[in-house]
Amino acid sequence: MENVAVQIELRKQLHAGLTLDVSFELGAECSILFGRSGCGKTSTLRCIAGLARPDAGKIQLNGDVLFDAAARRNVPMRHRRISLIFQDDLLFPHLTARENIVYGIHRWPRVDQKSRVEEMAEMFSLGPLLDRRPANLSGGEKQRVGLARAIAPRPRLLLCDEPISAIDQEGRATLVAHVRRVQQAERIPVLFVTHSTNEAMALGDHVFVLDGGRIVAHGTPLDVFTEPRQLSLARLTRVKNIFVATIESHSPPEGVTVVRVAGGPAVRMPLLDAAVGSSITFGLRADDILLARHAVTGISAQNILDGRVGEIVRHGADVEVLIDCGGTRFVASIVPAAVESLGLKPGEPVTMIVKARSCHLLDSER
Amino acid sequence: MSFDPLPLYLTVQISVCSAVVVVVLGTPLAWLLARKQFWGKHLVDAIVMQPMVIPPTVLGYYLLVLFGRRSMLGQFLEDYLGLQLVFTWRGAVVAAAVASLPLYVKPARAAIEAVDSAFEDVARLLGRSEWSVLRTVTLPLAWRGLVAGAVMAFARAMGDFGTTLMVMGSIPGRQTVSIAIYDAWQGGDLEKANMLVAIVTVFSIVVLWAVSRLTGGKI
Repeated sequence: MENVAVQIELRKQLHAGLTLDVSFELGAECSILFGRSGCGKTSTLRCIAGLARPDAGKIQLNGDVLFDAAARRNVPMRHRRISLIFQDDLLFPHLTARENIVYGIHRWPRVDQKSRVEEMAEMFSLGPLLDRRPANLSGGEKQRVGLARAIAPRPRLLLCDEPISAIDQEGRATLVAHVRRVQQAERIPVLFVTHSTNEAMALGDHVFVLDGGRIVAHGTPLDVFTEPRQLSLARLTRVKNIFVATIESHSPPEGVTVVRVAGGPAVRMPLLDAAVGSSITFGLRADDILLARHAVTGISAQNILDGRVGEIVRHGADVEVLIDCGGTRFVASIVPAAVESLGLKPGEPVTMIVKARSCHLLDSER
Repeated sequence: MSFDPLPLYLTVQISVCSAVVVVVLGTPLAWLLARKQFWGKHLVDAIVMQPMVIPPTVLGYYLLVLFGRRSMLGQFLEDYLGLQLVFTWRGAVVAAAVASLPLYVKPARAAIEAVDSAFEDVARLLGRSEWSVLRTVTLPLAWRGLVAGAVMAFARAMGDFGTTLMVMGSIPGRQTVSIAIYDAWQGGDLEKANMLVAIVTVFSIVVLWAVSRLTGGKI
């Protein structure tokens, strides 16, 4: 690959039961490191940034060797020119927003510092906040200043650790939007850590799925999340039904938008703010699909979809039923007792019942 | 009433110099103890803290042995630098500095340890050297503890008696406040003793009040 910017190959024992052992490459795009907490995501970032030292491996950035265990080379953090957005904002509390942003570019000529701060203020709408201390900034404002501080020195790579859950959902969404914008404006590789499928879909050009210290799958978010071929991956991505669909019509009085899954059924979901004919992606949890053997009436659910049982896969106390509905595959998760009482068998007809509200729009504007 | 302010001047002079020495030597020491792992760290810690538990006269005795004219170090200082420590006010500075060092190092170390080291990592990632990180992040974030420690060390230096007496001796006209009080009491000059005691008492209360305000009562 010619446009590879970062080559990472590292091994590090994190604790007795977990050894990080990964090897992957990042281009100048937005990559996602996806996995549940404790799988080694943050440790991977720390090794790349130089905060932690791998036991073995080699890390290269634009042809520059940052770490090479074999050659005993370990470039100190301050010479790596990598920015890391930590889980906490970690703004210096004794400095104003402006001083925080200038911190990494204090050796630049003054005029350049000034214009870079202005550029950052513009990009993150920080104008009136520049002379405030972090104590006088809201959570979202701090996050933006933190990003501005990370970007100002023109790093060669931006690493984003997952914001701790204390940050509200809205805060996370704006962070995602900002990171996306930064990546497009600065054209640098970004590696973003998350355990959220939605964030991965919204942000990622490429997803690496990390489980038990290893990369178990990678590809575009759509590939990785719509066809979770591997069992571990399927368990990680709790949203098992992800569809690309076209908007057919809106009905504001009913509060419903009708979308058609490519080559599949029409689905009624909560009213969307997007033009008819445009393409969207939506997700549906396997737990949110009800199954019935006969047509059902007098029920609030908006979607009654007829299909045919494909495969029945048992994972202990959990059963996944793969259902073919007009050429589209749905995954429903039910308990073994339900399989018994419905007498489900491959090839037999089945009816899926799905609430409109169970269909979630996934942000994938690209 | 004849009141001789000389002991006050001398005491302030000695205490200020001692505090400067303590901050200059104690800050890197506190940083090393707070942030670095090295062989013999606990031993260094124990030695620095000694003056808090060891009798002041014993400490003074060590300093006499170490800096006296008959020691190699004392000889060297006098022959090559023209610096005589024993029986001079400079010797009193050394005595006060050694005696008050732990009172600075302890809160300074605690203050540096209380600075989240992630801030230092952020600074390093933004291209700063270790020295720059210390100067622009660690020390500014620990400043309350450093100032509180410096004030405590200054106050301790002002009140030192035993160590200073051993090193500087008690020569009339060249006495610190503590020694002058003892001397006045011995000589039956109660008026002078009362005056100096009152001044020292008020000063001590003001110092502790200032430290308490600065640290919010945390040290």
